[in-house]
Parts: sequence; structure tokens; C-alpha cells
Amino acid sequence: MKIKTLEEILKKKSSKTEFAILTNLENGDSEIYLPGTSPKGKFSKYAVEIENFFKSKKNGVIENSEIFVETYIKPIKVIIVGAVHIAQYLVDFAKSLNFEISIIDPRGYFASEQRFPDIKVINKWPKEAFEEIETNSSTALIALTHDPKIDDPALQYALKNKFYYIGALGSKKTHENRCQRLAEAGFTNDEINSIHGPIGIKLGGKSAPEIALSIIAQLVSQTYKK
Amino acid sequence: MKNSFDEKILDEAQDWINANQKVVLATVIQTWGSSPRQVGSRMIVNEKGDFSGSVSGGCVESAVVSECLSLIKDNKPCKKIEFKVSNESAWEVGLACGGEIAVYIEQIH
Repeated sequence: MKIKTLEEILKKKSSKTEFAILTNLENGDSEIYLPGTSPKGKFSKYAVEIENFFKSKKNGVIENSEIFVETYIKPIKVIIVGAVHIAQYLVDFAKSLNFEISIIDPRGYFASEQRFPDIKVINKWPKEAFEEIETNSSTALIALTHDPKIDDPALQYALKNKFYYIGALGSKKTHENRCQRLAEAGFTNDEINSIHGPIGIKLGGKSAPEIALSIIAQLVSQTYKK
Repeated sequence: MKNSFDEKILDEAQDWINANQKVVLATVIQTWGSSPRQVGSRMIVNEKGDFSGSVSGGCVESAVVSECLSLIKDNKPCKKIEFKVSNESAWEVGLACGGEIAVYIEQIH
């Protein structure tokens, strides 16, 4: 690898631009590749394979070749509704897992920056808060307030915008009522059933860090199914 | 899951280069069976044999360091090294986990 290539990699990393490093293992030549562009020179005939590495978020050697592809993918955006105790543990877990967290909570006393250092905390109702966050089908939503006034508008937004993971905290009973409200609001059964509720995988724990762990485990598993 | 944008090993490589050290970059490019570090894991080695990062759970790092030192000594640009399951009866380097990995080493020049 040339020093110039290394400098370019570091620049792309710090600006959080998605890219790949293509290396010809035969001679060590390497090049930066931006998704959606055409790879140059010797790499040009592997355009499809390189894009597939991006899609599957993987690194590897292209089959029957001596080309190594390493992809740099943007962190997955996770929006938490409810700046509650569980959210504090979720933030801790997410730090080492390539998730970028934003928190929405209209209740000022909860959503203090002191409780969530270095995290984007939006002290507004979901409808207004979503105007400040760019979302798409690679975004996840974790609703933690179990207060319909706050959770429901966020869940509706996430369903309409086809978030890949939507989870909502609350007992079975709370979730049944929530499903009924969503049905009344015009959402289909398939849409409603896509919500993970009660949220999290079954670990058996009831403490805030244990619930956070069960939620993050479910989120990671759904991220790999995506 | 990878945390590629926050991974600091390449920044460290540049710091070493800026300090006029020769740097070899080692990258896991293939794995078979169980292996402790995934494809794309990296370590860097300088001409004194100092290293940072990892390509396994400590199983093959010392062998990678000596390969990197030879690369600098022979002034070669790159080399692919494969590590297989260790033979318990021999004092050789291998992966006790039972996996196999291929590591690519290259000089940053």
C-alpha cells in the first residue's frame, strides 16, 4: 500500500464516507473505491462482485481471483424514544457495535445531556423530532416510554418509513392495546406484526441493563438478517 | 459487528510513518472454520518488531511479526501467509482454535 493511499483512506474514514479498499494480492497494488462508481484498471471486471460485498457488509477475497475487498460501511442509525434508564445502558452497548444513537424525549427532565454525554438528544415530540433526523429503511427504532402519547407517533413514523427494526417496550397486554390502536389508525396486520413487542429476546432478566442487553441482542440479530 | 470508521489502527500506522518508521500492514484476508478475528482485522509491525492490533487471539502474532521483519529485510512489497491447525505434539505456531486463516502482509511505502 502506498502512503498516499493510506492518507486517502484516513481522510475518507474521518469524513465517514462509505468506501472500499481494493487490493491486488499479487503485487500489493491498492485503490480506493466509492460505491456506485466503476472500479478502475485491473479491478474493473469485478464491479458486480465488489458491489455485492457492500450489500452484504462483508470483506473478503473475490472468488477465483486475487482481489481483496474491504468495505467501510456507515454505522446504523438507531433512534430511541424515551430517555429512560434502559436507554443509558443501550447507549453503552451500542458504542462498540457500530450503531449511531439518537434519543427523542419531549420530557425535558429525562432528556438531559448530562445523562447522555456525546449522544444526540432531541427534546421534542416525535413528529417534530423526526424532521431533524434523516431516516431510511436502514434505520432502527426502539420505543421505550410505553406511553402511547410518545411511542405511538414514533412507531407510526417508523412503519410508514419502513425501518428495518422496530421494537416497543411494554407487557403483552400493553402491546395488544398498542396493536389495536395501530390497526385503528389504518396499519395492516403485516405492518403491525413487524413490530418486536414485547421488545427483546428472552433472557429472563428484569433489571435495566439486562433488558438493554436483550434489546441490543435482538437488534444485532435483525441487523444481520437485513 | 465491525466498527470500521472508528477503528484506529490505520491512524496509528500513519503516526509511525510520520515518526520515520518502516511499517508493514498485516490483514486477515480469509478464514476457514472457527477463527478468533474476522476478515479485515489488522495489525501493524515496525522494523523494530513493535506491533499494534491483532490478527488472531494471540496464536499467530509472533509468527506474523517475524514474517513482517523478513519482508522489510528482504525489501519485498507483499506476501500471503496461511496458518493452519496447530499440531499439539510440535512446538510450532498454529491456531489452537482449530481454524485456518490467511494473512496478507504488505509494506506501506
